[in-house]
Amino acid sequence: MPAFTAAGVRLYVLSYDEPDALADFKSAHAVTFTMLSDPDSAVIRQFGILNSMIGEDDHPWYGVPYPGAYVIDSEGVVVAKFFENNFAVRSGPEQLLAAAQGREVILEGRSETTENVTVEVTLDGESLPAGLTREIVAVLRVPEGRHLYGEPVSGGLVAASIELDETPGILSYTPVFPDTRPLTLSGDGHTLQIYDGDVVLRLPVAQNGRTMNKDEDGRWVTVSGRVRWQACDQESCGLPEEQRFEIRVPAGYTLMADMGPGAGKVPAMNGAAHMKTMVSRRACGN
Amino acid sequence: MGVEADRRGSELAPGQFEDHEGYVAPLPPGFGPRSSPLGQFPTGPEVGSRLPDVVALSTAGHTIDIQADREGRPAVLIFIRSAVW
Repeated sequence: MPAFTAAGVRLYVLSYDEPDALADFKSAHAVTFTMLSDPDSAVIRQFGILNSMIGEDDHPWYGVPYPGAYVIDSEGVVVAKFFENNFAVRSGPEQLLAAAQGREVILEGRSETTENVTVEVTLDGESLPAGLTREIVAVLRVPEGRHLYGEPVSGGLVAASIELDETPGILSYTPVFPDTRPLTLSGDGHTLQIYDGDVVLRLPVAQNGRTMNKDEDGRWVTVSGRVRWQACDQESCGLPEEQRFEIRVPAGYTLMADMGPGAGKVPAMNGAAHMKTMVSRRACGN
Repeated sequence: MGVEADRRGSELAPGQFEDHEGYVAPLPPGFGPRSSPLGQFPTGPEVGSRLPDVVALSTAGHTIDIQADREGRPAVLIFIRSAVW
């Protein structure tokens, strides 16, 4: 949250809960962002994102949205949105903030001009808690006069891509790639979609909570995979190349982990009483 | 848009159901609050369009209009299912 404030980005969280339920949640977790109550799901319906699989008689779940997030610019225009099929996974704050800031990556100057594409792969975040996405960010620096390909490619060319190894419990979600620009070849007039300059590929990843390694330093997850590309200029193409990455990060904890009784835990937010209200408001046909 | 529930998964133990991505919860995938869509589902306003006016209640019970409240700053609006359960 301090990062959002520092960046001048407002943060709103909306649910179908009653205002007093959100007020209790807010004080229990010392929340500083704005929580909004939409008890009749009017905004949720207006957006067209009411979860239609839950029946109207299915108290008290009826009225929830497909969970997701919108990022709007200073003009109020949607610049990015984040929805995944599985409600168990949510976009991490780094991912939302990166979108709000125009996805700019601050790059240090090149130390030297090289003939080859150089690749740096990092995880945008300090940890990878279960069910929360962080982005693997691959920055490919393409020498001047050369380019990479974006999808769709043809003729045996390899598009720039980032993918995870098949590791049980480590999951990847919808990747975010920059826009390509068309390049028409002088020879046959064929048009290809290319990237040049500094190319940033982002792959949201999450873990399902069952893949952690424990040692004396804590709980860890390891995310590995590869970045692939093929660099070409107007005349010729290099061979497809790849760079592997392996990132070990603390598994961290989500907010829910600090709830419940015990030392250092967040006090209960009176959840049972709010649940009762929620059931009765539906059952009364409100 | 007809949205189908994703019921893929298996029962690991009584009250321990794994979905197809390996997340575990007490209800089987596709039931009640564990209803995730399979395939396409509506995700609201498109990128490039203006966010509709969002008027909802603050925790104090006052009306808040996001487009006015953000005072010209960029914003992130997150829809969650519930803060209670």
